[in-house]
Amino acid sequence: MSEVLLSELARQLQYDEASVFSAPWEARAFAIALGLSQAGLFTWDEFREHLIAEVGTTDHRIRERDGTNRQGEYYEHFLRALEAVVTEKGIATRSDLMTKIAELQGPAAPDTHEH
Amino acid sequence: MSGRDHDTSEHGPAARVKALEQLLVEKGLVEPARLDAIVDTYESKVGPRNGARVVARAWTDAAFRKRLLTDAVAACAELGIAGPEGGHLVAIENTKRIHNLVVCTLCSCYPWPVLGLPPVWYKSFAYRSRAVRDPRGVLREFGVELAADVEIRVWDSSAEQRYIVLPERPAGTEKMNEEQLAELVTRDSMIGVAKITAPGNSR
Repeated sequence: MSEVLLSELARQLQYDEASVFSAPWEARAFAIALGLSQAGLFTWDEFREHLIAEVGTTDHRIRERDGTNRQGEYYEHFLRALEAVVTEKGIATRSDLMTKIAELQGPAAPDTHEH
Repeated sequence: MSGRDHDTSEHGPAARVKALEQLLVEKGLVEPARLDAIVDTYESKVGPRNGARVVARAWTDAAFRKRLLTDAVAACAELGIAGPEGGHLVAIENTKRIHNLVVCTLCSCYPWPVLGLPPVWYKSFAYRSRAVRDPRGVLREFGVELAADVEIRVWDSSAEQRYIVLPERPAGTEKMNEEQLAELVTRDSMIGVAKITAPGNSR
């Protein structure tokens, strides 16, 4: 276990990229979270509670697995935490989100990732 | 939780973020220009150069150093450095006998105004799970070998407290001015996973 983790940290160090965000959606998710908290719709601490929960769930899986993070996993947690706090606070419902996703995708359009 | 029938996770993250933004814009809760400004701030304005200015000032101004170690928030504000996630900042000083290492074991708490947003490894399970348990081993992976008599103190960040390490000023920098010193200060040295070397003294 310890040896797997040793090499895992070395692997993570290689991802120390020059840019803060590795995809435009990561930057946007961050900005939405900070913007909503600055607008007073939730506190950053309330958001953080959801983030800790998301990270904790994945940590548990990682511990069972091989000790490695998938690349880019962090902002997936971040986005889930953001959706969770937005729905918890009644800012939007999950079904609002689903409807909007479908609307933006249009009929039968494939999900295109903006990378 | 509202059940699996409304699970957004079957969609790609880019589509989900776009939908969320659009909904919030329609509700008048965010403005795209404001989001652009936040992204720009954290991509290009706020970063470890801020922390480096703080460290260089502390190295060259004993009174400032004292104020920094007593009340880091106020000391940083003197240099015009403040902002979200900076309200609970504490500066901790490395000495010949004590080396400080900062982690957030639960998520990714980090002092944004002085260091910007955290690097990928800081948020990784590998770092978060090992920094407390095996700090010496972690430091070795960063290329830092500490003498056996150096005490390592690990600081776990939280909602209440964020940390910046004040690294030791390297020998051989006596003639350098504040600006030149700031150039030597690295992000990693302020997290506590690197030491600073004087130019021409590569380890």
